[in-house]
Amino acid sequence: MAWRGISQGLYEIGRFSATLAIALAVGAIFIQLTGREAGAAYLALLESALGSRVALADSLAAATPLILTGLATAIAFRGGVFNVGVEGSLYIGAFAAAWVGFAWPEGPAWILLPGAILAGGLAGSLWGLIPGSLKAWMDVDEIVSTIMMNYIAIAFTSYLVNYPFAVPGLANAMSPPIAPAIHLPRLLPPSQLHLGFVMALLCVLGVGVLFARTTWGFELSLHGMNPVFVRWAGIRAPRVILTAMGLSGFLGGLAGALQVLGIHYRFIANFSPGYGYDGIAIALLGRTTALGVLAGALLFGILRNGASGLELFAGIPLELVRILEAVIILLVTAESFMRWRTSKVKEA
Amino acid sequence: MTAVLFATLRMTAPLILVALGGLLAQQAGMINVALEGLMLVGAFFGVLAAYYAQNPWAGVLAAVAAGGLFATLMAWAVLKLRANLIVAGLALNLLALGLTRYLLQVLFSTRGAFAPERLPGLGIVDSPFLRRIPFLGDVVLGHSPLVYLSWLLALLVAVFLKYVPEGLQLRAAGENPEAARSLGIHVDRMRALALIVSGCLAGLGGVQLSLGNLQLFFENMTNGRGFIALAAIYFGQARPGATVLACLLFGLFEAIQIRLQTRMGVPPQWPQMLPFALVIIALTLISIYRRSRKPSIRL
Repeated sequence: MAWRGISQGLYEIGRFSATLAIALAVGAIFIQLTGREAGAAYLALLESALGSRVALADSLAAATPLILTGLATAIAFRGGVFNVGVEGSLYIGAFAAAWVGFAWPEGPAWILLPGAILAGGLAGSLWGLIPGSLKAWMDVDEIVSTIMMNYIAIAFTSYLVNYPFAVPGLANAMSPPIAPAIHLPRLLPPSQLHLGFVMALLCVLGVGVLFARTTWGFELSLHGMNPVFVRWAGIRAPRVILTAMGLSGFLGGLAGALQVLGIHYRFIANFSPGYGYDGIAIALLGRTTALGVLAGALLFGILRNGASGLELFAGIPLELVRILEAVIILLVTAESFMRWRTSKVKEA
Repeated sequence: MTAVLFATLRMTAPLILVALGGLLAQQAGMINVALEGLMLVGAFFGVLAAYYAQNPWAGVLAAVAAGGLFATLMAWAVLKLRANLIVAGLALNLLALGLTRYLLQVLFSTRGAFAPERLPGLGIVDSPFLRRIPFLGDVVLGHSPLVYLSWLLALLVAVFLKYVPEGLQLRAAGENPEAARSLGIHVDRMRALALIVSGCLAGLGGVQLSLGNLQLFFENMTNGRGFIALAAIYFGQARPGATVLACLLFGLFEAIQIRLQTRMGVPPQWPQMLPFALVIIALTLISIYRRSRKPSIRL
């Protein structure tokens, strides 16, 4: 048993290293286009991501929303629900948190801060429950509905800050600033690392326990493996789908709320560079386990933060990191066919 | 009124082209969520080739080739490496967005938009003779050639799926792969071809956007149109006629968006949300209808 675990772990590490190597090789071709040397560029990337305490802290800050969107996606995937809609929950959650933050500028922080975090999570959760209930009760395919919900969320929040909550005199579409009293404390200035990172770590712990130690986590995995069997076993499938989508949306909303409370201090239309979609990649990289998600999110955080340094100092566009990510995602599911398959692959 | 209808046809053309591609993939049993990225790639490489060759048709060819090439990459990942279809599609969207932005900065050292003066557009089709037809002449004439091509292709796709043996095989591969296989149809080859053709058509839709409707490329210029096309496919149940009608409806939303905003103060986000909301409602209604016809024994 122990041996099997070790060999499995080694196998995962080996396969992951190969994936990363291929991605870096593809990236190297694109770096050559700029006339720079790939090896030196990657060293510069590492340097600006991990070279100092502040750099490291910024990488952790970049990983914070990704940990949460990764967990959000992992919960849904584990239950066999193909939720592509974490991005939408993130937007709705971010706006809800900002709204609590700017609507009561005089309120006491000890109520408003938890209130804003909770509002973000709940709003994201409700958003996820719309396609969730359509799936649970009416068998509406969640892949399509969640993709569509993302676009609705982005346009809807953009409407909110352009019309009902528009700030006169501001050219960019953003909400009023939140009360300074509820800014999440920065842990290592001048880096952007904020208390939200610790909350994200607690969520990793919580989801890990949920998966490994609770009946619900077991039911979730069972449903993911075989939804028909689950019904015969007396587990109510709609309930599993609803809780999976509700929790997934909650974590997505939380990710958005923490970005508002810890980084931007207001809601900005179109603010997400695709945190929700990155969450899909990270959940798959982490084999839908809590610790795996943490590792995947840290990797993506390092890449993101390092790449912005690369653009600043070496003039290599930040977009390099998207190309690297795309290659990783393409390969990670390809290989995962060996063990991890969703029931959706065939019918999709 | 004629201006609105004219604009509708203009806005609809890229949607029709992209949706026709996605529809072929859908009929072969493959949801193509990469339409957005494939379209973006077409828009970019179309502008790139048209600029260097100083010929818009070189741009059209490059767009079709680039869309096809990227779709080949996706087909290879999904059918050979057995990657998850949806995840591979999303990866491709990410790749398209990153790659076009990266190349925009590296090749033209510009961020945002690339609109050189010497970029040849596709031009318009006009005829002074047909112009004399009242109303219709003003609506139907004066579009880029790809607009007319999109209608022709819609017809061809409809005929292909209904009457051509290969079209029937493609549908069989989608509807019942096991049965199709037992009849000697190469299901994977059929699916790969459908994906690649969908990439070519999405690329064509993209170049209509960047060289037909406009004469420039800007970052993320497709701005969700690939997903609107996907919505149209679901709205039309992957049938050519109904899908084209859905494209027309969504094109109309886009055409009236600015007019609604300036004349009636309707926020542009409402017509933007409408296609996505409508398709969710449509899918729900279809699902309810299907369930009401099924026997009530459920597992």
